[in-house]
Amino acid sequence: MRAEPTRRLVLAAAGAGSLTLAGCKGMAVLGPRPKPGVDVVSLEHAIAAEETMIARYQSALTALGGPPAGGGGAGKTGETNAGAPARATVARVLAEHREHLAQLRARLVLPPRLATASPRPGPTPPPTPAGRHRILAELAAAEAVASDRLVGKLPDVPPALAQLMASIAASEAAHVVLLGYGRLAP
Amino acid sequence: MSVNRTGRGLASAGRPRSRPDIAALEAALAAEQAASYGYGIVGSHLTGAPFAAAAADCVAHERARDSLTGLIAARGGRPRPAAAVYQMPIKVSTPERARSLAILLERQVTAAYLGLVAVSDPALRTFAADHMRAAAVRAARWGGRPQAFPGLPRSSLRRSG
Repeated sequence: MRAEPTRRLVLAAAGAGSLTLAGCKGMAVLGPRPKPGVDVVSLEHAIAAEETMIARYQSALTALGGPPAGGGGAGKTGETNAGAPARATVARVLAEHREHLAQLRARLVLPPRLATASPRPGPTPPPTPAGRHRILAELAAAEAVASDRLVGKLPDVPPALAQLMASIAASEAAHVVLLGYGRLAP
Repeated sequence: MSVNRTGRGLASAGRPRSRPDIAALEAALAAEQAASYGYGIVGSHLTGAPFAAAAADCVAHERARDSLTGLIAARGGRPRPAAAVYQMPIKVSTPERARSLAILLERQVTAAYLGLVAVSDPALRTFAADHMRAAAVRAARWGGRPQAFPGLPRSSLRRSG
């Protein structure tokens, strides 16, 4: 929604330019497609980051032995009890990232990658490390990086999107605690 | 509306256009003042490590309060002084309830920065977002249930489908 005026302005500017040049440019009057605005690019980056994060969590869940709470019993039998809390946490955080992605996608009114014809490759998460602690540590580090990146993009986006992105950044910062880093001793 | 790219620093002088900034700063200040007060109650029901955590969190809110006071003054506003007493959202009589109050205070603070994260001054946006993150982290440390969208009212979320 908010991204639209920017694009309209870009289109209007392109149109005005083409009128003045119409005499000498022939068929080129339409010019190249306008590049997406910095706000659209920031939103697309945020969407791509969430997609990668979701892929990371899916890999982690598989590595930790399948979905929590014994759903289907597909987990690695040896680790069922010891890994259960970690799996539950990872599954819970994964669900929150899916919510983030849905809200970010809902703000993108333009077809993704309008300016580039090439289709976007699917997210490829880095390989999941072995061992429960290393998996959680890696996820926590990824959350911290993602949170920082979102905050870094705030100056480029419209107010309502800034609020959503700041909230997601806060959620990601809290995930670091949830994954076992910085929790208060009881 | 459009993003201010003039690179004004956090302590820049006030102009008529900074009036919305001052209103947003005031909203955050009110929440930080209430949290600074509330953590006194939280701490009074805790001992040991949780007490130390409450004391540290209290200091964090006092620092934020002081920063906001300075930011408002630098923009020509008059920071509203703290109230003598604040009504807390819950009564605290046990360590468990003290933790619950800490979580509630952090949630209020997170939401109170939403206005500031939407102002045009990019430095203020970043300041607000950092304080939202800090509050969400503290809420999680106190054992608060995770929230997908800390600070955001449900009404601002779009139906996906």
